[in-house]
Amino acid sequence: MIYFDNGATTFPKPKTVVNAVNRAMLTGANPGRSGHQMSVRAGELLYQCRVDAARLFDFDKPENVVFTLNCTTALNTVIQGLLRGGGHAVISSLEHNAVLRPLEALKSRGVTYSVAGVEEGDSEQTVNNFRRALQRDTKLVVCTHASNVFGIRLPVERIAALCRIYHIPFCLDAAQSAGVFPISMRDSCIDYLCTAGHKGLYGPMGTGLLLVNSERLPHSLIQGGTGSMSAQRKMPDMLPDRYESGTPNLPGIAGLDAGIQFVSRQGIQGILRHELRLAQRLYDMLSVCDGVQLYTARPEADTHAPVVSFNVGNYDSEEVASVLNDRYGIAVRAGLHCAPLAHEYFETQYRGTVRAVMSVFNNNAQVERLCEAINKISKKA
Amino acid sequence: MNHNLIIFHSMTSVLKGREVLRRRGIASRVIRTPSQLRRGSCGYSLLISRRFDEALRLIEQENIPTAGVAAVDIS
Repeated sequence: MIYFDNGATTFPKPKTVVNAVNRAMLTGANPGRSGHQMSVRAGELLYQCRVDAARLFDFDKPENVVFTLNCTTALNTVIQGLLRGGGHAVISSLEHNAVLRPLEALKSRGVTYSVAGVEEGDSEQTVNNFRRALQRDTKLVVCTHASNVFGIRLPVERIAALCRIYHIPFCLDAAQSAGVFPISMRDSCIDYLCTAGHKGLYGPMGTGLLLVNSERLPHSLIQGGTGSMSAQRKMPDMLPDRYESGTPNLPGIAGLDAGIQFVSRQGIQGILRHELRLAQRLYDMLSVCDGVQLYTARPEADTHAPVVSFNVGNYDSEEVASVLNDRYGIAVRAGLHCAPLAHEYFETQYRGTVRAVMSVFNNNAQVERLCEAINKISKKA
Repeated sequence: MNHNLIIFHSMTSVLKGREVLRRRGIASRVIRTPSQLRRGSCGYSLLISRRFDEALRLIEQENIPTAGVAAVDIS
């Protein structure tokens, strides 16, 4: 199988990740709960992952690195935790349902939100759109770093700086960008960074991260045992305990740490260069293929993530993905990619798009195989 | 042998504390906080035999939350 569904989860995982998960399964006790050597060792493993994640995102507070189930849980923690008393939020026109649905659900509590239009290739206009969307009662701005469907990169550093001027918390959805674009918590005005552990960080599924760089702490969504301050009936305020009730996913986090170390060894700039070169090659080959419809400009590092979305003739996107799977052994994702807003932007909400996302394990030969297959499909269209 | 303890509320805090001390060459060991010092709660402590005052100052400088200090006799 040739795998281009890396936007859903990267595959394969590095061997070091698989080995780390196995080791944790064979040796791991419950971390932070008991005093025996195995429990302390498990706690050390978790802490090492916090340290490595903090280093990757240029963040000096490893204790503010919170483990979550996935990026969606991290985003819900921020969105629901900050807006539970009501208020207004601003999001971009390219958001995933992980941002859109919590806000829709909060409408019953009086929360409102505005959608700021993203102008591809025009950062100035995009930032202006965000500025215009702010209201007196805006309590949160949350947006994606790069569209999971079309790869369009948002000027998030500028949007975050804008929010800082107005004292509005800024939350970044880095599901598609962590491990692909460099992100500095120290140099930016990001208050909350949410990301998946199983995409560009190459960890196992069921892992995610929330980095908190603000004194404004969202309410915790769930409450329970943390192994700390147990006599107290209220949840501890200190991080990461405030957001980490219950037994953590030690094997997953062990794998995530190995994934983060893998990314650090490869170097984010090198990963971006490799993936972008492949995405550009795919884009260039598809752009001369009859019947193929591309939606964005050619991917470039400062404007796009290594994601290519397209359609073939009048085929439904799911149909194309199915033929790629059945006849050519190629895995892509089709449909709406849980991002209806982004599809409305390109008017592809009815047929969706076929999406290919690169990882460090893809190569030129695989891109060529995909293009050959698309060529054949398009000739039958 | 007499040791001093810095008591922490959580595993994360105690490990951050140990790392801060390790960087300054101060040896410490993570232990479960002895029951008589837990005050109905749970937690971990750093067991420190040398340079305790300096260690405590470093922990405070880093703003790592602590639950107190104590002297213990561990043979």
